[in-house]
Amino acid sequence: MAHRETFYEVMRQHGITRRSFLKFCSLTAAGLGMGPEFAMKIAHALETKPRTPVIWLHGLECTCCTESFIRSGHPLASDVILSMISLDYDDTLMAAAGHQAEELLEQTIEKYDGNYILAVEGNPPLNEDGMYCIQGGQPFVEKLRHMADHCKAIIAWGSCASWGCVQAARPNPTRATPVHKVIRNKPIVKVPGCPPIAEVMTGVITYMIAFDALPELDRQGRPKMFYSQRLHDKCYRRPHFDAGQFVERFDDEGARKGYCLYKVGCKGPTTYNACSTLEWNDGLSWPVKSGHGCLGCAEDDFWDKGSFYSAVTNMKVMGSAEADADKVGKVLAGAAAIGVAAHAAASVVSHMSDKSRKEVRHD
Amino acid sequence: MTNKAAVEGHSLANIQPTYVFEAPVRIWHWLHALSIFVLCVTGYFIAYPLPSVGGEASNHFLMGTFRWLHFVAAYVFTIGFLVRIYWAFVGNRYARELFVLPIHKAEWWKDLIHEVKYYGFMTRKSHKILGHNPLAQSAMFFFNVILTLFLIVTGFALYAEGLGQGSWADKMFGWAIPLLGGSLNTKMWHLTAMWLMLVFVVIHIYMAIRADIMSRESSISTIIGGWRMYKDDLP
Amino acid sequence: MTKTVTANGFALDTSGQRVVVDPICRIEGHLRIEVNVDEDNVIRNAVSTGNMWRGLEVILEGRDPRDAWAFVERICGVCTGVHALASVRSVEDALGIQIPTNANHIRNLMMLNQYVHDHLVHFYHLHALDWVDVVSALSANPRQTSALAQSISNWPKSSPGYFRDVQNKLKRFVESGQLGPFANAYWGSPAYKLPPEANLMAVTHYLEALDFQKEICKVHTIFGGRNPHPNWLVGGMPCSINVNDTGAVGAVNMAWLNLVSDIIDRSIEFIDQVYIPDLKAIASFYKEWGYGGGLSGKNVLSYGEFPMAANDWSNDNLMMPSGAILDGNLSQIYEVDTRDPDQVQEFVAHSWYSYDDESRGLHPWDGVTDPNFKLGPNAKGTKTNIEALDEDAKYSWLKAPRWKGNAMEVGPLARYIIGYAMGRDDIKGPTDDLLGALGLPVSALFSTLGRTAARGLEASWAAHKQREVFDAMMANIKAGDTATANMDLWEPASWSAQAKGVGMAEAPRGALGHWIKIKDTKIENYQAIVPSTWNASPRDPAGNIGAYEAALLGTPMADPTQPLEILRTIHSFDPCLACASH
Ligand code: HEM
Ligand code: HEM
Ligand code: NFV
Ligand code: SF4
Ligand code: SF4
Ligand code: F3S
Ligand SMILES: [Mg+2]
Repeated sequence: MAHRETFYEVMRQHGITRRSFLKFCSLTAAGLGMGPEFAMKIAHALETKPRTPVIWLHGLECTCCTESFIRSGHPLASDVILSMISLDYDDTLMAAAGHQAEELLEQTIEKYDGNYILAVEGNPPLNEDGMYCIQGGQPFVEKLRHMADHCKAIIAWGSCASWGCVQAARPNPTRATPVHKVIRNKPIVKVPGCPPIAEVMTGVITYMIAFDALPELDRQGRPKMFYSQRLHDKCYRRPHFDAGQFVERFDDEGARKGYCLYKVGCKGPTTYNACSTLEWNDGLSWPVKSGHGCLGCAEDDFWDKGSFYSAVTNMKVMGSAEADADKVGKVLAGAAAIGVAAHAAASVVSHMSDKSRKEVRHD
Repeated sequence: MTNKAAVEGHSLANIQPTYVFEAPVRIWHWLHALSIFVLCVTGYFIAYPLPSVGGEASNHFLMGTFRWLHFVAAYVFTIGFLVRIYWAFVGNRYARELFVLPIHKAEWWKDLIHEVKYYGFMTRKSHKILGHNPLAQSAMFFFNVILTLFLIVTGFALYAEGLGQGSWADKMFGWAIPLLGGSLNTKMWHLTAMWLMLVFVVIHIYMAIRADIMSRESSISTIIGGWRMYKDDLP
Repeated sequence: MTKTVTANGFALDTSGQRVVVDPICRIEGHLRIEVNVDEDNVIRNAVSTGNMWRGLEVILEGRDPRDAWAFVERICGVCTGVHALASVRSVEDALGIQIPTNANHIRNLMMLNQYVHDHLVHFYHLHALDWVDVVSALSANPRQTSALAQSISNWPKSSPGYFRDVQNKLKRFVESGQLGPFANAYWGSPAYKLPPEANLMAVTHYLEALDFQKEICKVHTIFGGRNPHPNWLVGGMPCSINVNDTGAVGAVNMAWLNLVSDIIDRSIEFIDQVYIPDLKAIASFYKEWGYGGGLSGKNVLSYGEFPMAANDWSNDNLMMPSGAILDGNLSQIYEVDTRDPDQVQEFVAHSWYSYDDESRGLHPWDGVTDPNFKLGPNAKGTKTNIEALDEDAKYSWLKAPRWKGNAMEVGPLARYIIGYAMGRDDIKGPTDDLLGALGLPVSALFSTLGRTAARGLEASWAAHKQREVFDAMMANIKAGDTATANMDLWEPASWSAQAKGVGMAEAPRGALGHWIKIKDTKIENYQAIVPSTWNASPRDPAGNIGAYEAALLGTPMADPTQPLEILRTIHSFDPCLACASH
């Protein structure tokens, strides 16, 4: 087998000096929110390792995770694909097709058993024996299981792979199922978002390669480095929220002044993502900055949590029956008040009749 | 723990005033009521904010103030409840009634049915009971123990989101969020619990006043002064 | 019976060897192509199968129409935003909402921007490798490459040193033995015709375009908050314009408008100085490869797009015209009415869905989406291991849309044929110029290369139109109009109990329609018919074959085990199967 060059070698060969290589490492470290000592660790890792093979599978999805990935500004997607990883299978980008493409999967297993990263975009449907997503005449779920069996770790790209996303929204006709509910024997890093931010995607994958380790995950399996805070915690409109200044309807006076979007349904207070800090497309903007509330696209099941345009929303109670629990509560409280009034009236009536009976007895 | 006097006491005439609610219980009761009042009002305005205020953001802190008050009241609510639990262990027998439903006792069920009938105007006379009657006791248990705990857990889980991952609140209560299906659901459950709490408050206050007027023992004065008084000497 | 002639006039012969290509890569979503080749390896039968279904139409039932755009936007992340646009238009149509002028301009800008981005990424990253041999680029002479590049364009990045750097990068990459996305492909096949220098130039621009595309879409980021999947709004756009008042810094302000303007300039530059010259250069080596015309010479359809004045869908007001052409008769252009129950219909006789009566088509307002997966009696393999499909039975997750019963081709080529036939200067002029430069007749348009060329011309057209729209928007703002949303009918209480509407758009891949029925403020029925549904369509009960199937017929394959020719023609449509099946 040919000599597999390290990331550093590749960079040097591109005419990149050691100085700018180190600068790249410290920028990467800073991008990951880490200090200079980590920059040296990244440098060391990149200097000594061959490019890690990545198999990128697509299930039921919309390919916008891939689209987002290629929007990465730092590092550039072209650098990730050509210099940092070895993208050995990705149906959206690869030159081969048909059985020439499928052969690559077996080749990767042969050469790198237990050593490649499996990146999954989208998810497998389980109804109809999995035939709502067919690849090579077979259900996608089989391909997923097969490639998962031999991988080192899985990255679940986007809300599809992480949670189920739009195709899993009620009534989920295909029984689209997130990766962790199908694959249970491998570590899974969830990178939710519909899609996730480009630099979050490249940040996670470069972290895994540079440190040869999984990022630290939160309770729900998301990398803490990007998903440990709500958008609302870092939102630049937050002073307006605290002040009580809200957009009451789109394009009103408040909207033009940049007031808080809570009343028009912003889900920033309940959404964990990096939008309000990293922002999108090279840190240019993010949904809230452009005037539309956050949809909560990185949260589990965000499609079925009621209107995108109201702060108080429905939720599922008792399985799939959906009800506006808040409304139920309101109705109960109202009923209690009415009930009490009625009971009080009845009590008065009953009391009076008691009295009159007593009076009768006295007679 | 239905009071024995009530069950066996058909022969007892002229029951003496009894010291039912010790001072810590009474203080807790009113602090609890006050904190709930504050929590409901502030919570409501967090869920449904008031119309926007004008001028510069830096001149206002309306939502911030509501949230701050909510959290202060939340601490009063929570710590008060913890102290109240402590008092259940060291206080008098009535101090435990709120927490323990004697569902293993046949008489308790009999009394419960009786109370339901009484409030349904199916029977005219209420039993004399020193502590809570079984109906009230059940309501008390569900609304003031279970629902209170639920509000505390969901409330602090939401609070933990602000304090950040790894904070004490996150370690203690953070688990509730994935369990309830995410942050937004947790908030909606918390909000729903408020409405349930209001159901209790409305009924409870009504019952208290009604009992004061119509029943055979003292009520509001008891939760103020601690002594249960009786208006007649019938069994 | 192995030989038939389809209702739309294509000869089919299923007697020869069956070749299966699954997956078709470098597309969006999951597509399977099966063909029969005769003893000369010429394709005589073609079967196009949509390999996926998610059920968006079913999922939308019962939901708030104002939320629908976000759901349908997730039909596709490649043509991101176009379904959202069709969706908000359908709701506005149903409820009778008029959008403000600025909202119309912003929507036009975003859609034009989408054309530029989508077409560019398609050309370089999804299509180029069908024509460009990456390995051959290794043997190019950088100096000659530079000379070639400078002879066709004044794009500044064209020095010998620049091409040498890229070549070295490529060499190391290949020598590492880790070929990544270029592994196991068809390098060295005699079907590749470019000289090494042209290959090196194209590979270099593959990388440049990959880096540049992320700049183009920033127009979406400014107005919609992000890309992919920017935000939209029923009634207008969610971004407020504030150029001269308190809080302007947090709205669409002068700084952001300047950025939009800058991106427009840069994308015009890149398209005109890189994409178009490359397209011409590559095409000049493949002029003989005249296959793949299929339906384009017969039936084409466009709904029209880019209303210059808001809320006016008459053809004169549309920058890209609407119309239909039948039987290749360019002198007659039919009007298209998407509300007419007899014009647009979908059939499912060969699709994995059920209707009560599958011999008939349904207009989307009465559309039904009821999945029914079953293989035909002549399929080979098992349910979960299909070796060959039976195209006489159900064989695709796509429905078969038809216009007045006809299978239609949609997309840039269809739009250009219609625009050309109408004699629209901005379409006919550049088309004639390109044909002239290549020394080709108009009939050359009806081919795989014609499709690829039309897309390139359209990318340039759209890049320039962005400037016009931007200027119109600035003039409107200057005149004091900053409104971006009409919220008068926002509250469901203001809606009538029953309403129905249609939202049309010309997406990068062609005619897109969303049909909505609203009942008691909730969605009662939602149906989408998508460009790739038209093009990748399976057969209908009358036996008409769709555009992909038709385009493959008659193409000789150099080696049936290497599906390069199939990829060329199929890729020329820019397939999107997530769109097509939704
Ligand atoms: C948020 C409002 C309130 C809550 C949550 C609440 C809760 C409680 C609880 C938990 C107890 C049982 C005390 C124990 O056994 O430890 C109790 C007793 C009592 N409360 Fe309240 N209370 C509220 C407001 C009020 C108000 C406003 C009144 C008077 C009008 C009142 C009158 C009473 C009375 C009379 C009792 C004694 C019941 C008995 O005789 O057994 N409460 N309350
Ligand atoms: C009787 C008890 C309580 C009631 C009735 C109550 C009510 C509410 C309501 C209605 C909301 C607004 C939810 C929404 O946005 O829709 C809220 C929010 C909240 N509550 Fe409570 N709550 C109670 C106890 C607590 C406790 C014990 C805590 C603990 C710290 C707490 C912490 C919070 C937090 C952190 C929020 C979110 C506020 C924000 O981030 O803006 N609550 N509460
Ligand atoms: N076909 C299609 Fe789309 C486009 N263009 C949709 O309308 O790609 Ni995903
Ligand atoms: S997570 Fe969202 S953006 Fe990514 S593939 Fe799924 S639907 Fe598309
Ligand atoms: S706009 Fe959204 S995220 Fe920002 S402060 Fe308001 S509610 Fe929070
Ligand atoms: S909708 Fe998604 S992109 Fe960010 S602002 Fe909300 S998490
Ligand atoms: Mg459809």
